[in-house]
Amino acid sequence: MSQAATDKPNSPEPKRSNGFQISRRAFLGISAAAAAVLTVVLALKRPKLAGPVETQSTSALAKNEDGTPKDVLIPTSCLNCPTRCAIRVRKVQTTAGETKVVRILGNPKSTYTEGKCCSRSHVGLQVLYNPDRFAQPMIRKPDAGKGRGTDYDSDFDVVGWDVALGQVANRLGTIAPDKLLILEGLNTTSNEDLIRQFALAYGTPNLFKEEGLETDADREGKMLADGRSDSWYELQSEDETSTKYILAFSAGIVESERPLARNLHLWGELRRSTPNRTKVVAFDPRYSVMACRADEWMPINPGTEGALAMAIAQVIINEGLYDSDFINNYTYGFNNFKTVAKTARFSPESVSEITGVSAESIVRIAREFARSKPAIAWSGEAATSWPYGTFASHAIYCLNALVGSIDVPGGIVYQRYPDYAPMPADGLPITETGISFRKMAELLRDGGINTAIGFNSNLIMSVPESKEGGKWDEILKREDFFYVHVGPAKSEMAAYADIILPACTYLEDWGYESALPGSGYAEARIKQPVVEPFDESRPAARILFDLAGKAPLSGPFSPILSTSETFSEDFAKYRTAPLMPWADFRSVGVWKGSSYSYRQHESDEHFFKTPSEKFEFHSNHLERLLNVRLPGEDTVYPLKLAIYRPVLEIRSGSQNFPWAQEMYLVMHGCGWKNLVEINRETAHEYGIGEGDEVVVESVFGEIEGEARVLQGMRPGVVAIATGQGHFASGRFADGMGANPNDVIGTEYDEESGQPSFFATRVKVRKA
Amino acid sequence: MANWGMIIDLGKCVGCQACSLACKAENNVPHGSLYEQKRHQDIYWHKVIAATEGEYPAVNTQIIPMPCMHCEHPPCVNVCPAKATVKRGDGIVMQNFRRCIGCRYCMVACPYGARNFNFKTQEDKEYQRPDLPPDLDLGYGSHIGPWPYPHRTRGVVEKCTYCFHRIDQALENGWEIGSKMDGEDGVLPACVEACPTEARYFGDLDDPESMVSKLLASGTCIKLREEMATDPKTRYLPR
Repeated sequence: MSQAATDKPNSPEPKRSNGFQISRRAFLGISAAAAAVLTVVLALKRPKLAGPVETQSTSALAKNEDGTPKDVLIPTSCLNCPTRCAIRVRKVQTTAGETKVVRILGNPKSTYTEGKCCSRSHVGLQVLYNPDRFAQPMIRKPDAGKGRGTDYDSDFDVVGWDVALGQVANRLGTIAPDKLLILEGLNTTSNEDLIRQFALAYGTPNLFKEEGLETDADREGKMLADGRSDSWYELQSEDETSTKYILAFSAGIVESERPLARNLHLWGELRRSTPNRTKVVAFDPRYSVMACRADEWMPINPGTEGALAMAIAQVIINEGLYDSDFINNYTYGFNNFKTVAKTARFSPESVSEITGVSAESIVRIAREFARSKPAIAWSGEAATSWPYGTFASHAIYCLNALVGSIDVPGGIVYQRYPDYAPMPADGLPITETGISFRKMAELLRDGGINTAIGFNSNLIMSVPESKEGGKWDEILKREDFFYVHVGPAKSEMAAYADIILPACTYLEDWGYESALPGSGYAEARIKQPVVEPFDESRPAARILFDLAGKAPLSGPFSPILSTSETFSEDFAKYRTAPLMPWADFRSVGVWKGSSYSYRQHESDEHFFKTPSEKFEFHSNHLERLLNVRLPGEDTVYPLKLAIYRPVLEIRSGSQNFPWAQEMYLVMHGCGWKNLVEINRETAHEYGIGEGDEVVVESVFGEIEGEARVLQGMRPGVVAIATGQGHFASGRFADGMGANPNDVIGTEYDEESGQPSFFATRVKVRKA
Repeated sequence: MANWGMIIDLGKCVGCQACSLACKAENNVPHGSLYEQKRHQDIYWHKVIAATEGEYPAVNTQIIPMPCMHCEHPPCVNVCPAKATVKRGDGIVMQNFRRCIGCRYCMVACPYGARNFNFKTQEDKEYQRPDLPPDLDLGYGSHIGPWPYPHRTRGVVEKCTYCFHRIDQALENGWEIGSKMDGEDGVLPACVEACPTEARYFGDLDDPESMVSKLLASGTCIKLREEMATDPKTRYLPR
């Protein structure tokens, strides 16, 4: 990439914000082109005609005594991403006595998503009927190698539950408690509570939540400002006050940002509401679905979102457009922030050079943002997964405070959670979010940990440098390292396991879920089994209960007396008892807390949990946002790698679901792979054409993929979707695409220890 | 008799594909594979396509959900030599799997790529759902063509039915059908019901009081490939 191309002044003509953007003629033109693309290529091979069509039976649905078909809708909740929407599952029973789950629908009792659920929830059927599920507990044969190449049939011995749990308990008895690491992938809230309790009872502080790989820096930056971890963007209040202006800083609000189903649903309402349609501006290096759906797409240099936020702040401050009432009464350190923001380095002109967004656009957007209330500035994962991600998150978050969007309808709200019945001995020293990624990496590298239990863990796929022979591969293959995998189906972490304990899926489990931040009010959702657990798989709660009975614990585990078989149900029943009667909870599926009250900081002096008990603008590190530092020489590795999460990346870690696979990349109309997406100009420079097999290389390794040459990408940026590149997840996932984490290097956000996934330089060449 | 139509609001749609997945689940449409996708042999009764125009940075992509258009003048019906594809009285274009001889003329004739040929072998286990009864326990008499469950037919053409089984069931039981301006929606096709952004509306185009008629009356709805004079009943509200 030549210098000239990178620094090319770039002020895209903004799309018109209102009305219809595309003429009727243009639309017809597109549709004709689209239909031409769609026209099915008739294969030359003509299959043999099928035999005579069987006479169909009139009905195969079994009947109840009153003659109605055995066809029920069971309220429960999804677990294909952290949003965990309330769903209803349709189950039918045939005359042959077979029961089958056939549909997943939203639950209209849930006001959080208003009965809607996103595309991910439909894939639940294939999560349940995944052909690559574990049927029995398995123990690795002593000589079988771990990692890539693991054959689940020949490398493991099938054992009974007693033997498997006995071995795990033995191991726990022989090590010091702090040598144990607990890895948490995506789990039910109730199981998360039990996992934490188990860690407390056993005495290990080493609990790592993989969710933090994506969210730690963002949360840490917000906590610098308000000291709370439960803030989020409301979009629309219960009385239908909507956000009027959204600045999306590399945030895929309708693609991957949580809470996805709520975002999607409210998107529809916000974008068609009259007369005040919400305006959305997307800053993103990539023409993402979000950028495509926004009113304006501003291609931005990766990692410069924080600097851009400061420039917007400068305009707002200079022109006196900020909310002085909020700032004078409820904030701390505004003068310091003002001084930093007003320096010439953060002027729209100088920031324009860094970000590639024109100074006029910055000024115009800043004015619009400050004048349209309520307005929010949403920091996405790509904006904060950098070595200074916490500060970028803080800077972007401060924009919300500048325009007075803190704790107002349609602005930032602070989530309430259901008051569940107490757990034993709460308040012991495990922080809510567990240990940081950096801490965990250090513990593993130094041998401070020799045993791990992973619940639905997907660690090896989601960390940087995940490739074979990389440091994570080496650590997990160490001889003295003992790993127990608890999960329903084949996955990469299971391929590194010494013992595999088959947990059942979320559709066979008991539990409860709390709503993610976003609504303000609390919502709890039930999880109840729709079908019996597959084969010998067991609820994770039961596995923990049995383990607690065998392993040496120093504290209490279960808050109730129960038995192994009934524990998972008893526990969910006990915890949710203060909310509503169990039978009602089971039939309704959702409990909603009292309505949210806004402007709590006006009445509660201790509302902000910062040292000053005010919203803190103060930061000594905002200048760092100007130094976009990427490892690797730009002469050798001239391109910047950006990763993104498509909507059909199932967040439980596996991708062994053919429906999700075949529609994986909606913007490219293909699936079963990911693509190396590259700007046309840049591709031309490197002699790369559409569909070429290319190698993406960084100092950390290389991956291969198919090139997709497109206009919707900032020159000098290569984008690859995550979620592919599996090697031990089963028949529909293995060998499809590549995992971009293989070539991403390990750098950390300085404050939170989150890996900086976006700070890697690469080069691309033809394979 | 009603005249069913669908309106899709492209200003709300974000291409999440909940519609495509709900369709697959509701109608037991088999999933494909990498092999089949490369050969365009995988089956979608509903698909979301993206068409891009413009040059960086003034790029514009239209994300368009594509069910069958259920044309007023369906070219597929004209070309079928076996009378296997028929327009019902209520405007739904149906495929009769017993009559279909698998010539695929209709696929060539369809300007929207809404039709799929079933290349699957009956032995494909993943693709049989013996649990799904052939008629979902509805009265069967009024249907044209056999419901494809539990065994689909290899070597015939398949397509979207606007979830006719739901509509017929509702008619039989006297339930409300279609999207409503206020209050709770009636029975809807699976894709309309599943849309998280509520970008899709379904109802009777002949009923001036229906929501779809009112949206049509706003005058901004467009038809895909209008020059083909097919008069599609799936229409779009532009962004």
